[in-house]
Amino acid sequence: MYRPVASREVRYADLDLWPFRIKAGMWAWILHRVTGLVIVFYLVLHILVISSVLWGPGTFDATMDALRRPVFAAGELMLVGAGLYHGLNGIRIILFDLGVGIRQQKAFFAGVLALSVVGFAWAAKVFWPLIFG
Amino acid sequence: MAKLDIERIRLKVYRFDPETDREARIDTHDVPYVDGMTVLDALFHVLEKIDGSLAFRFSCREGICGACAMFINGSYRLACETQVARVLREGHRELHVMPLPHLPVIKDLVVDMTRFWQNYEAIAPWIVTRTADPEKERLQSPAQRKLIDEYVGCILCGSCFSSCPSVWTGREYLGPNAMMKTYRWVVDSRDDAAVERLGRAGNEKGAWRCHTIFNCTEACPKKINQTSAIQGLKRRTVAAMLRGAR
Repeated sequence: MYRPVASREVRYADLDLWPFRIKAGMWAWILHRVTGLVIVFYLVLHILVISSVLWGPGTFDATMDALRRPVFAAGELMLVGAGLYHGLNGIRIILFDLGVGIRQQKAFFAGVLALSVVGFAWAAKVFWPLIFG
Repeated sequence: MAKLDIERIRLKVYRFDPETDREARIDTHDVPYVDGMTVLDALFHVLEKIDGSLAFRFSCREGICGACAMFINGSYRLACETQVARVLREGHRELHVMPLPHLPVIKDLVVDMTRFWQNYEAIAPWIVTRTADPEKERLQSPAQRKLIDEYVGCILCGSCFSSCPSVWTGREYLGPNAMMKTYRWVVDSRDDAAVERLGRAGNEKGAWRCHTIFNCTEACPKKINQTSAIQGLKRRTVAAMLRGAR
């Protein structure tokens, strides 16, 4: 059995990680991970913000007022986008677990992307006055 | 394949000898082009006429042994089955031949497949029976055989193993090939060890480590859909648990 000797230099040729070589299924997974992290980050933020009520109604109202700024509205729009993609791709993965569409995974990914874009466009329309109004 | 009007093809090949080299390098060779030439033929030309120190694996030269899986012009392919003309027709001007990604390079195009073989052995890829041996053979109906049709086409080249992000990050993961082969034995009507096989595969070292990224399916030179087998394994694991079989 071959074992790399300690003094040997171990090299890997990982040329399949160039973005233009990453295939649909892996993009779906990368986006799923990234949007998942965004949602977890929001969840922590959300718990921190809501727990400001522990310091009384005044603190809570002040926090809520501070969050009415456009930058937070923009952040919420991003959250809607992340949630949309993560949820829709989650359905795609659940369908695979049930044995549906495994051989049509690219078409399903295209559908997930299309629905996400449509949903995000609609959300952007709703959020527009909150961000720029 | 239609004839190509070229005399030579430029071949860029990855070179690294861990015993003498500090860094990997790319060697460039101009190889005479012959109609019907494969990438393996080009490598042989370098080995025989230009640089005898080039190391690469090969055996059958007809796409059945799985030894010459390489990363050729951005795709996982078998060097022996890949026509130079086809690579050029994809829009490439020269051949780029690299070892399989994410596996330790032993020398040049030869990578360390130890983990791949250990994982394959770990799933007991042979028939296990509980009944007495029949006089002649264990028969299967065409419908039963159809369940394993796709998966017996695997030639153990390691492309799926090399391409899987779950393999790169999970040191314990058995890999797409071992999982696909487990499924192949679980659904085989002649095999009696389905419960043990599901027990080996139905954990975080097995099927549940698969995140349905489909890199294995994209990489497979034999166009096998490993993900479909791994998903089948997941379903059968859950079904076995609900039935209380394990």
